[in-house]
Formats: sequence, C-alpha cells, structure tokens
Amino acid sequence: MIRRRPVLSLLSALAMVFLLGPILLVVAIGFSSGDTVEFPPPGFSLRWFDQALSNASFQQGLLTSLLVAAAATLFALVLGIPVALAVQRRTFRGHKAVETLFLSPAIVPELVLGFALFQQLMVTMRITALGALLIGHTVLLLPYAVRVTGASLALSDPALEEAARGLGAGPLRAFFAITLPVMTPGIVSAAVLSFLTSFNNVPLSLLLKGPGISTLPVEMLNYVQFSYDPTVAAVSTLLLAATVGAALLTERLVGFNKVFSR
Amino acid sequence: MSRKATLGLLLAPGLALLAFGFAYPFAVTLFAPPAAEHPDVLGKLGAMLTDSYVLGVFARTVRVAVTVTLVCLVLGFPTAYLIARAPKSRQGLLLALAVFPLLLSTVVRTFAWLVILGRNGLISDAVLATGLTDRPPELLYTEFALVAGLTQLFMPLMILTSYSSLSQIDPGLEDAARGLGASPGRAFRRIVLPLALPGVLVGATLVFAGAVTAFTTPLLLGGSRNRTLATLLYDYANVKLDWGGASAVALIMTVLVLVVGWASGRISAKVATS
Amino acid sequence: MTPVVQLDAVSREFAGTAAVRELDLTVRRGEFTALLGPSGCGKTTTLRMIAGFLEPTAGRILLEGEDATRLPPERRNIGMVFQSYALFPHMTVEKNVAFGLKMRGIPDGELRTRTGEALELVGLSHLAGRKPKQLSGGQQQRIALARAIAVRPSVLLLDEPLSNLDARLRIQMRQELARIQKETGLTAILVTHDQEEALELADSMVILDQGTVAQQGAPREVFRAPANRFVAEFLGYENFVELPDGRTVTIRPEHVEVLTSESTDSTPSDGTTVDAVLTAVRFRGTDCVVTAVSQGRTVLATSSDFELRSGRQVRVHLPAAHTIDLPRTKQELPTS
Repeated sequence: MIRRRPVLSLLSALAMVFLLGPILLVVAIGFSSGDTVEFPPPGFSLRWFDQALSNASFQQGLLTSLLVAAAATLFALVLGIPVALAVQRRTFRGHKAVETLFLSPAIVPELVLGFALFQQLMVTMRITALGALLIGHTVLLLPYAVRVTGASLALSDPALEEAARGLGAGPLRAFFAITLPVMTPGIVSAAVLSFLTSFNNVPLSLLLKGPGISTLPVEMLNYVQFSYDPTVAAVSTLLLAATVGAALLTERLVGFNKVFSR
Repeated sequence: MSRKATLGLLLAPGLALLAFGFAYPFAVTLFAPPAAEHPDVLGKLGAMLTDSYVLGVFARTVRVAVTVTLVCLVLGFPTAYLIARAPKSRQGLLLALAVFPLLLSTVVRTFAWLVILGRNGLISDAVLATGLTDRPPELLYTEFALVAGLTQLFMPLMILTSYSSLSQIDPGLEDAARGLGASPGRAFRRIVLPLALPGVLVGATLVFAGAVTAFTTPLLLGGSRNRTLATLLYDYANVKLDWGGASAVALIMTVLVLVVGWASGRISAKVATS
Repeated sequence: MTPVVQLDAVSREFAGTAAVRELDLTVRRGEFTALLGPSGCGKTTTLRMIAGFLEPTAGRILLEGEDATRLPPERRNIGMVFQSYALFPHMTVEKNVAFGLKMRGIPDGELRTRTGEALELVGLSHLAGRKPKQLSGGQQQRIALARAIAVRPSVLLLDEPLSNLDARLRIQMRQELARIQKETGLTAILVTHDQEEALELADSMVILDQGTVAQQGAPREVFRAPANRFVAEFLGYENFVELPDGRTVTIRPEHVEVLTSESTDSTPSDGTTVDAVLTAVRFRGTDCVVTAVSQGRTVLATSSDFELRSGRQVRVHLPAAHTIDLPRTKQELPTS
C-alpha cells in the first residue's frame, strides 16, 4: 500500500500505545522482584504471584466471582434466549417496546442499579447478599444475552424452522434440532461476553456485598486502595492470561468478530 | 397451544425478572427511597441544584466526559479507519488487539494509571530525571488522571462502533472521489466522514455515557478531591448513609445519560434521513 | 378421485388488507400446478396456507379429502422447497435429506435406503457427507428438492425454487425438475413470477391478481387466449388496440403486418387496417421492431423490410385470425 496517511497513522499509533501500553506495564510489574511498585522493575521474580495466590481474600473473591458469573450467565441465557426468539421470530403488538425494555438495563448506570437493588432487595426485602448479587448480575447480563443470541437468530434463515416443521417436526422438536444448534455460535459468544462482564463488574458487586460474599474485583479494589505493592499486578497478569485464553478459545470455536459484533 | 400463549411463555420469565430485579427497585429508589430522615428526593434534588459543591461535581463530570469523548474520537476514529482499510486477513487481529482491553477488569486497567501517574510513577520519575525541577508534578487525583484513565477504558467502544460503520463503506467511493479530483484528505473528509457519522455518533454516546457513569476509575484516580457524580453517589449511599441524597444524585445521573442518549438518537435519525 | 389439494373460498387478511380473497383451487393427483403472478398477488400466501405456515382467515383447506385448515405443518405430509433452500447448516447433506424420515420414525435401514434413493434421484449421491455451505447454489437446490421428496409427500410445494439461480442454471434445473416430477409422479404446486417457467413446467396454470384467480387452465390454452388485459400483459403481450368497432384486442407483434405503398395497394379483406406513422425502428438482426402510431394508439410490429424508417407513412394490418378479444372485466388493471 502507498504510505500516504501520516497524520492518521500517527494518531492510531498513539491510540494503540495508549490502549495497550498500560496493560503491558502492569504485566511487567507483576513479574517484579522489587518490594514496591516501580518501573522498570529491578529484577525478575515470581514472588508476587505466590503472594497473590496465597491471599485468602483473593481466593474467596475468586470463588464468589466464578460462582456468580457462571450462575448469572446461565440464568441470563435461560431467560434471554426465549426473549430473543420472541423478538426475532414473532410479530406482535408492542414488539419494539419489548425489545427496548429488555435492553434498558444496559442503558441505566450500573451504580444506580446496584444502589436500587441494595436498598430494595437487601435492606427492604432482606434478601441475602448472594441472592441480590445473582439477581443483579442476571439483570445486568440479560441485555447481552438477548442481543447477541438475537443477532445470531437474525442472521439465520427463518425458513429453517419452517422447513423442519414441514418435514414433520413439532415446534419443540424443531427448536431443539434446528434453531438451537443454529444459534450455538451466538450462544457461545453471549456466554463468554456475559461471563466476563459479570466477572469484571465492580459497581453492582461492591454495593451488593455481604459477610463472606465479595467478588475478586472488589477485593482487588480494596487492596489497591490501602496497599501499593505488585500483588494486584500479579493478579491482573493472571486475569489477563485467563481472558486471552478464553478469547482465543472463543475465536477457535465461533470466531472473534462474532463475539464483538453485538 | 395458541401463538399468543407461546409468546407469553417466551416473554414471561424475562419480564418477571425485569419487573422484580430492575423496574420496581429502580422506580422506588429513584422516587421514594425508604429513608428515615430525608424521604423527599425531589426536595433533596432541589437543594442540590443550588449547592455549589454538587454543581461543581456535575460540571466536572460533564467536562471530563466530553473531553474523554473528544480524545476517544480523535484517536479512535483514525484507528478504526486504518483497521477497516487494512488487508482483510489482518483486520481481525488488529480489531481484536484494539478491542480486547474491554474484556479486562476496570480495576486492572485503572491500576496501571496509578503506576504511571503516581507520586513515584513513571511520569514523575521522568520529570525528575530531566533535572529541571525537584518537585514532581501532581498528576494523580486530578482531572487529567480521570481523562487519561477513562479514555483508556472507553476508546475500544469508539473503535468498535466506528469500525463497524466504516467497514460498510465501499473503498471504491474514495477512489471515485479521487478520480473526480479530490485529494486523499478531502475524499476522507467529504466522503468517508459523513457516511461514518451515524456509527461515530453511537460510539460517542456510548463513550460519554460510560464516562459519566464510570465508578472504579474516578474512585481510584479522582479520589475525594475530584469527585464525579458516580463517586458522589457512592459517598452518599455508603459513607454518609443519606439515601435521599443518593437517590437525588442517581436521578441526576440517570437523566443526564438518558437525555444524551435520546438527543444522539434524534441526531442520528436526522443524519440518516437527510 | 379425491383431489390432493382443495381450497374452498380461502381468504387471508394481513392487518385488515386482503392478500387472498375467496380463492378456490383444486389440484388433482399427479398434476403439476403453477401459481403465477406478479409480487403481491397472493401466490406465496396461498402456498404458505397450503403448507400450514399461515392460517386462512376464512375458508377451508382439504388435503387428500380431509379438512386440514387448522392442522400444523408437521401433520400435513407436505414436501416444501424454499426459495432460500433452508438447508440445515449444521447437518450434512445426508442428515438433511434424512431429517423428515427421522421425524416420521422410519427405522434406520429403510431411512438409509430412502435417503440414498432421494440423493440418487437428484444425482448427488457423492456429496452425501458434505455440509450445505460446501455446495454450489444449484447443488443446494437439488438437495432441498431431495429432502422434500424423500418423505414421499402427498404434495410437493415449490416456492420460487429457481429464482436464486443464474439464467443458464435456471433453465437446466427447470428440465431437471420436470424430469423428477414425471419420474416420481408427485403432485406439485409451483409458485413463480416467471411465466416461462410456468408455461414449460405446469399442466395447469393459475394466474393470480390481487388475491383472486385472473385465469386458470392449461398453459397453451391460457397463452393462446388470455382472458383479460391483466393476464395478457403478464404473459408478455404488448399490443392493446381499441378497434373502430369498440372492441379491445391484443396481438403479438410478429402477427401485425406493416404495409407500405410499394408492398401492395390492395387492402386485405379480413381483420382491420389503419393508417399509421412509424415513430421508431429498432434493428434486431434478422428483423426489426417498429412502433406505429395511429390516432394516438400505438402498435408494435415486427417486419423484415429493412427499408422502413422512422417518420414513414404506412398502413398497419391486424389479421382477424391473430387478434384476441379482451373482454372488459373488473379485474382489468389500470393501464400502467
């Protein structure tokens, strides 16, 4: 290609440095041998990984995060896929309003949602922190589930289900034999996105915590506010590795662009 | 079973969750929180709208969000453009690189800025090393820190939405404009920009709303000196335990986001029809 | 003999607008019927009602003599070929073709034989293990046909099956479709907007206009004697001439004679002759198409007289043997 866009190239190089530089910096600090956060690190060591992995509140937080993310993802998909089916495959009065309604949790500020759930579910109704956390995260993920699985439905031919019905399959059989398999890439994408969204969430998780129930990002946030050493950098590096792994796996399964085209 | 009944069966569980876990708590909290001392949210709201501190926080939140949106636009749009015009085989990887930070925790991404902007951070070390001054500049807990952190957080959204709109534009259009005598810059401004505008507008709205409602980053990088609406809400709710006040802040934040979203929707509808 | 498909005064409304109005249709066993008409005429709606994807708002649908009006599609024993083919993307060709048999609980051995037979019939046995994405458009078309035929449906429903193929392949597939229908003896209903397709394939042709039957009959009959202007226009007739006696007739351009002062002086005795001026002459190689205007009326004619030029005074003769009377009917479309 002819090099003819110096300004654009410069700006986008700047953007990439701005986006990826800080993340690489954190990784470098995670492997530091120094006692405090410093760059460049004085030497290489894995001591902060040891420190991170043996931290009890991080362990507890990780467990809670995994549990909540997995359960909320499952709930959101179970509730969201039928909605996607209704929105994509049916015509009915108030169609547009229903679609907007199901996307609206993504529009309101997460912190406000967290505050509202804390007040109404935990304080007024005395629902446990874990229960409120699960409800809140499921509400948070529902828009992703509806939208991403809906996108895979919108891309598929509506005649597929009719073809199955015409060949003798009842509505349920047509759904499980044809529609669900056709939606699989969308469901996988939605699951990965939902899981990460829930896992990384801070505002909801921070407001809906209780005794022994606190997620990993919240524990990291607490840690960073009071101590300044490379432990969090080590945790971050591990999370980065896990996220890249999940992203690559998803890419192998269904293709990266599908995950992001939401 | 009738079609109506199946439709109800498909929608009912989701609607039940939304009613119980979203609409009901949301409405009660915003308009009638069960607070012992100050149940009157609208009264609180009125008091806040004349409180210079709250107004200052509001102005800062909007100022920071607008700046972040502009920086994301200036850096993110060209990136999206170059990705969209890169060879097809490389587009996937480039886009993934630009967008995957979205999948990382905000705590992780904000932590990096503590390292860069902190008292013993990268920048202050560099400034000290020049020998021009022996007092490192104050960077952390400033609006600059907020802008830096939030820009890094939300730029992927701008790149993603711009890319999806740019990749729909036939590169042949630019060639046609060049063939008709336009310079590359002019072809870019007169052809590519207007066509990509609706996507860019969506991206800008997402970035703005994200920056207004972001919580972790202002908490860590703005501190108590540079509060935004989000950290102010948290302060009312969890530190001062003034739920009426928290509800009033929540109301301001929600209305701000909804109004900007609505306005941008109107504008892009106009752009699309003109 | 009971007709395979019978529609009694079937109507279908969409949001208050009638797409199909009191339609009667009878399809006999082994017959190939084409539902023909421009888009929006109700042909696809009719097919989808026969298949069971749409319920009529009024009227009855009988399949093999039994009332099937409210029967869901899976209980109608139909074989449908969709415009988009609708091959299941996650299944192999073989699994696609076997799907209907599986739904009917056919035992494994028979299922395999019948799948094999269907694939053989369309000549694609060697592609059994492929996925639909790995096939060309024409191959996908054949697999869709094999899948519909494998269940031995009481009626084969074809929804614009050839419209996604390029012109050459379309003609080839047309012949293929005709062969397979003859070989299997299946009753078939074809929905198409392509009159050539209908003329070539169908034993019986139903031309629809705004949800009602404009004309019905054997293709030769309908083509030779279109019942009204709508049908004539749809079948490609271009000349609509009001004769001095008030009748409106249509005639194909190759039957119109253009007479010049050199060619003859005598006026032919049969039919109608009028004075006209040529306003356009298009040379086509073996002949030319001329546009003649007489008192505001336009007539197209073909002629092998290459001396004809625009502006020339001529006489135009419409032989009585070739003019087709068009009755004025309510269904007559406003001139478009």
